[in-house]
Amino acid sequence: MMHLVDTVEVEPELVDEYLHVVATLAMAVMTDAGASFVSCATTSGEIGERVQVQVTWAFEDHEQWNEIRKNMVLDPRFHEYGRTAASLRVGGTRRFFTPATLPPP
Amino acid sequence: MLRRFEVYALRPDAPAEGVRALEAACRDCGRFIPEVLDCAVGTNLSDAPVQIVWEHAYASPEAYRRYMVHPYHAVVLDRYLLPDSPERLVIDGPLGAGLYGYGCGAPSYRMRSGIRRLVLLRLEAGVPEAEVQRLGQALERVRPDAPGMVVSVFAPNTMGAAWFDGVTPVMGPPRWTHIWEQGFSSLDALDAYRHGGSALADVERVGWDEWMGGIVKRSAELFYAMTTTAAQESGE
Repeated sequence: MMHLVDTVEVEPELVDEYLHVVATLAMAVMTDAGASFVSCATTSGEIGERVQVQVTWAFEDHEQWNEIRKNMVLDPRFHEYGRTAASLRVGGTRRFFTPATLPPP
Repeated sequence: MLRRFEVYALRPDAPAEGVRALEAACRDCGRFIPEVLDCAVGTNLSDAPVQIVWEHAYASPEAYRRYMVHPYHAVVLDRYLLPDSPERLVIDGPLGAGLYGYGCGAPSYRMRSGIRRLVLLRLEAGVPEAEVQRLGQALERVRPDAPGMVVSVFAPNTMGAAWFDGVTPVMGPPRWTHIWEQGFSSLDALDAYRHGGSALADVERVGWDEWMGGIVKRSAELFYAMTTTAAQESGE
């Protein structure tokens, strides 16, 4: 199982709007394309800093991601999602993670 | 072989450091995905509103499919490109999808350095194949009267629609139906061609409308100085 983790920076007053985009457009596009929703979390909006919103999606491997990617690119909603999310964020990162096996304690 | 071009229009506020990282990611792609051949990157010098061109090739559709599923593709290249990526540096391209390419039997496009020019062509719908072949022969025959043109390849833009596996179209016909790929030894050589007396330079100056029955309906050009990893390492 792999995780795609997008961590974006959003002004505090736009967090609710950004989360709405995640809950609607992103959820529909990503899950219809074949990804699974894992989690969504934010940092505090009460500490005088921009809020970080971290959204995690799961899929099997890069083979499956390639299919998901194709499905997304061919879905007009994906481009609307991209435009809308870009208009709300001020920065961020995208990283792919694979599980690491830890030695027993 | 599959010959492929990705053309990027940058966000107006794209940070210079990020743009350099994108260029390096494209230029060095073959180091991480051995199936990616003949990587070169250039900054567009034409008036077309795009900034970066990444040219490369694959030995076969199977090699292309390995590129498509390679982590470097998804993790590094797409970081700067996919519409939903928080690190996206590009905007939707004004020249269409921004992906062009063709199949070929041998790397006749290959040159180590110089100026690459892409002429994107839109042919009239329903033109008989014999007419298309006649056009291709005329374009590829241009070199004797344009001595600075060291590469001239004409082909249908198959990669524009078959971007998923290199063979099967997954979307409708591309805006630019054909590609005329050229190579020049230098900018002076390109200028000499453009302002020279060859029949095709004249067609390009006057417009394609009156030539070969007007089957070329639209055209656009890009040209750039090729930058390769080898050139970077040797300080060229």
